[in-house]
Amino acid sequence: MATTTTPKVETFIGRRIRRQEDPRLITGTATYVDDVKMPGMLYAAILRSPYAAARIRSVRTQAAQKAPGVHAVFTGADVAGVGPVPCAAGLPGLRVPHHTILATNRVYYVGHAVAVVVASDRYLAADALDQIEVEYEVLPAVADPEKALAPGAPAVHPEWPDNIAFTQKTEAGDIKKAFADADVVVKERIVSQRLVPMAMEPRGVVAEWRAGEKHLTIYSSTQIPHLLRTQLALMLGIPENHLRVITPEVGGGFGSKLNVYGEEALMGFVARRVNKPIKWIESRRENFQTTIHGRGHVDYLEMAAKKDGTILGLKLKLIQDLGAYHQLLGPLIPTLSVLMMPGLYKFQNVSADLVGVFTNAVPTDAYRGAGRPEATHCIERMVDILAAELKMDPAEIRLKNFPAPEAFPFPTATGLAYDSGDYAKPLHKALEILDYKKARQEQAAARKQGRLIGIGISTYGEICAFGPSPATPAGGGESATVKVEPTGKVTVMTGASPHGQGEETTFAQLAADAFGIGMDDVVVIHGDTAVVQYGIGTFGSRGTAVGGSAVHLALQDLRTKCSRFAAHALGVAVEEVRFEGGVFSSAKSSKTVSFNDVALEAHICRNLPPGLEPGLVATRFFEPSNFAFPFGAHIAQVEVDKETGEIEILRYIAVDDCGKVINPLLVDGQVHGGVAQGLGQAIFEEAVYDDDGQLVTGELMTYAVPKAQHVPEIESHRTETPSPVNPLGAKGVGEAGTIGASPSLVNAVVDALAPLGVRHIDMPMTPQKVWRILSQKRS
Amino acid sequence: MKIQGEQLLPLPPQAAWNLLLDHEVLARAIPGCESLVPIGPDEYEMKTKIAVSSIQGLFAGKIRIEEKRPPSSYRLVMEGQGRIGHVRGSGVLTLAAEGASTKLSYQGEAHIGGLIASVGERMLDMTAKMMTKKFFSGLLREAESAPRPQEASE
Amino acid sequence: MIAQPFEYHAPESVSEALKLLGSLENSRVLAGGQSLIPMMKLRLSGPAHLIDLGRIAELHYIAQTNGSIRIGAMSTHQQVATSETLRQSCPLLAEVAGHIGDVQVRNLGTIGGSVAHADPAADYPAALQALRAQVRVVGPGGERTISIDDFLIDAFSTALGEGEIVSEIIVAADRAGVGSAYRKLQQPASGFSVCGVAVQLGVAGGKITHARVGVTGVASRAYVAKGVEDALAGQPANAATLAAASQHAAEGVDPLSDLFAAPDYRAHLARVEARRALESALAAAK
Repeated sequence: MATTTTPKVETFIGRRIRRQEDPRLITGTATYVDDVKMPGMLYAAILRSPYAAARIRSVRTQAAQKAPGVHAVFTGADVAGVGPVPCAAGLPGLRVPHHTILATNRVYYVGHAVAVVVASDRYLAADALDQIEVEYEVLPAVADPEKALAPGAPAVHPEWPDNIAFTQKTEAGDIKKAFADADVVVKERIVSQRLVPMAMEPRGVVAEWRAGEKHLTIYSSTQIPHLLRTQLALMLGIPENHLRVITPEVGGGFGSKLNVYGEEALMGFVARRVNKPIKWIESRRENFQTTIHGRGHVDYLEMAAKKDGTILGLKLKLIQDLGAYHQLLGPLIPTLSVLMMPGLYKFQNVSADLVGVFTNAVPTDAYRGAGRPEATHCIERMVDILAAELKMDPAEIRLKNFPAPEAFPFPTATGLAYDSGDYAKPLHKALEILDYKKARQEQAAARKQGRLIGIGISTYGEICAFGPSPATPAGGGESATVKVEPTGKVTVMTGASPHGQGEETTFAQLAADAFGIGMDDVVVIHGDTAVVQYGIGTFGSRGTAVGGSAVHLALQDLRTKCSRFAAHALGVAVEEVRFEGGVFSSAKSSKTVSFNDVALEAHICRNLPPGLEPGLVATRFFEPSNFAFPFGAHIAQVEVDKETGEIEILRYIAVDDCGKVINPLLVDGQVHGGVAQGLGQAIFEEAVYDDDGQLVTGELMTYAVPKAQHVPEIESHRTETPSPVNPLGAKGVGEAGTIGASPSLVNAVVDALAPLGVRHIDMPMTPQKVWRILSQKRS
Repeated sequence: MKIQGEQLLPLPPQAAWNLLLDHEVLARAIPGCESLVPIGPDEYEMKTKIAVSSIQGLFAGKIRIEEKRPPSSYRLVMEGQGRIGHVRGSGVLTLAAEGASTKLSYQGEAHIGGLIASVGERMLDMTAKMMTKKFFSGLLREAESAPRPQEASE
Repeated sequence: MIAQPFEYHAPESVSEALKLLGSLENSRVLAGGQSLIPMMKLRLSGPAHLIDLGRIAELHYIAQTNGSIRIGAMSTHQQVATSETLRQSCPLLAEVAGHIGDVQVRNLGTIGGSVAHADPAADYPAALQALRAQVRVVGPGGERTISIDDFLIDAFSTALGEGEIVSEIIVAADRAGVGSAYRKLQQPASGFSVCGVAVQLGVAGGKITHARVGVTGVASRAYVAKGVEDALAGQPANAATLAAASQHAAEGVDPLSDLFAAPDYRAHLARVEARRALESALAAAK
């Protein structure tokens, strides 16, 4: 690698550039939390409740305290001074249970943390856990949100016997008239089941307390280092400037690490008490039981329409399983579903009754898509159900209800303004790639042979690029600092905290093009609150659209400043400076100045232009004016084995419009990963609690995530409609695949089974479930 | 989880009934039972050692006999906990004369929680079936030796 | 996910292993560890001693003598799946081995370990039942050979006595005109069989001369589908015969139940997969 930069005529934006971060990831040389080792480090293990609801009569820790290698054992009483786990969802009337970092007199779900053991190694810590004796008085539990709402259900929190955390009513347009005017009304109950986000790297925390400096450093596998620092300061009573949060490599988050967890504060507490560095690494079993789950929706829908397929309105009753507590954003997630409920369609009459329900289960919160996959699944299923009812083609009914391209920004029934779009375009493109007409003919021919082939369309939209600050609990802007070093090397520091999205590459592309340098000349730094200016984090498909826009603004600032240095050196006015291929020139001068020359001059200042400060550093905060609204069309073609109920995906076509694309390879990667997760929900995954609140899918032996053999070839294509709400024109793509996939797959399977009279199937569409439906319909 | 089973015992119902109320008999028939100590009328403290595949676990708990209708039925209520999980269940044992023998049938329900429930879902049903089978074959062994006390003492 | 403390022993001969097994309290044999190690890491199993058979050279072989093939207990699934001897002379066993778990499991798991563990959803027992395999065990009382049907008693329980280990699996080499196949519907998380049917079919002059059907995953132990075999013997080798015979695939069994598959679905799968396996075997026999 060269130590000085060389000017490059080559540009990088829009090209399929391989990820800069991958070599270290795929060669095992990256540093994750568990790779952090410190002299004198101790290891923590956490005792967790085996019951979903119980009173704690006693916790006896004496034997564990005396176990080999044990330094300390703490229980709920010991950590009473630590603030509660925060919830940032400020919904009116929201009931917020006091969420201590260790249980005190009661446990509320299986996996609830009861005590922590600190020992000289993780093995001894695990052994000592077995020595703690807890006496529980087992109480009745309820883990199903609809059962929790029924009269006489066990109260999850005794102070709120109805188990209702909040309700929210949304009325838009004239829903009564819409239903009165309707030729047809279709109804369905649709479940978006509980899912385990399953980051490949479970959570992990290292805490280091420096007593002399009264300084706490927390290493955590998190998506939000700065927000975590602020919250930990409040929980632990440590000034924010005495706290540093470092996120080393993060092995996946999908929203599950968009959170502040009790263990992060607990390790800070323990490190301070024992005055030694502490490490806690979550086991996969703990990950199943105690890291947030996603989804957990039961939706009752009614759609009103005219005979010609014009949708008039939608009624929704949404029951959200919140679990026993609120994590950071939990209760807000279903409110996003309500916002997104109209999907890509122009009808203006919506009524939604949302109820958030406490259950004896781990809290639900944001999981890839967070509220939008649930909404999209519902609306896309309802549109198909309506099409079937009217015997209309599912593509045709969609095209009929899209707003026209000139209607943008399009005001939706739920009060959003869709930024830009041409919703028919990706659908037409997907239909063409499939050769829809031919595929329907083949389907008809196959049906005659008794084969069950189905074609499923979903045209999805999503709210992305979170978001304007007033609509985002902790602020929705993002920050960037760009520094040009004297050798012309460029450092980008982003407040977004990428954890697999590839922004080290994307942002380097932006910087390389801005300065006419190579990708290798740029380093992107993130995830260290002592180094990087305050930022918000990576979630809600905001990394590039919001974080990238801040980088873009900082780069523009520095380009302007470079031009001023160059103008001075060239002896021309700044407006007369041209910059191309890393070289500053002017029609009025025979000289040229390279970017390298400027970088050096800006620091050594041999010939400082009057009125210009030395240095090439810029920090910018970008505040988006609106969300961005990506959209697209996914088509799945499936065959159902009519004897076993197994589903084979014959083709999967994804046409996504995520606005302006900086790196198509990374966009493809996001779509592939997203589709795999949506496919997981559609066919394989479900977190199942039994009637006693036991999580019976608590291991990878029972909970099936899709493996390579289960994921078909994904034909990824795009249309490109720039967003007007940020300077890059980007809309976001991190969640698109997940949102588009589940409805297209379920629609395809329902389409395959339609000749038998099947209208809806809930996820996951396991072979047994499909077989049972087939057998019922046949008899 | 539902549990059920049937066993023909070579005894008339009254003799079978007596057998089923003899806690020493139950202690020998319950798979893995290490001790069964009376703590009240029809109530016992029980320790069992479960060993299925490579899984090993000690359970401590109680069993109770309720709803006695001699010599035709009673309800067996049990609960136990150990490091690897906890169990609570109840079921009705019914005796019906069948010639000179007694048909013993069991219908019950078990709730299993903790570690074994969260990681061993696949094995719960088969394990319950196996335990029920062992319990019944244990009872059969006892019944076969019951009318011949001189052999039972061996 | 951290096991309780245990002591690890790595004997290099069968006699040394048996001595350890006979003398160490609360010991377990490690024969690949693809089931045992996860149980230990979950603390569902906590043996004080692990006796690893992996370094016993005399348990690693696949050899054909006359009409029979002897497979050392410590042969990995991968070795069985790729063995030229087996592919030539007993392709069913090689095929089934290739369906077990995933690459990592096949590289470490062993046939002896699988058989001794007797997981009702393991793949091998279906083939071993179809092949009428023999299991050789050694122990303090010497050697004995048990038919697989007598060896498998119930879920996770076998005829292995105290202090005994599985040393060898013996199968007969296929005769000419025999076709075989394995069909499996797997639990997508674990890869275990929800239903696996292994079939060997002999055909001569348009008639079925010999039919052997083993079923795993459906009942608490792998079984021979006797009803299917009987319905096929001597019958014309055509689709109708196979379809009719496969209806007997779950006869007389009490199917297992879990979240993924209830008893009626398992029984149904046994019939469907039996027919499909028979069809493949018939095609292979021709």
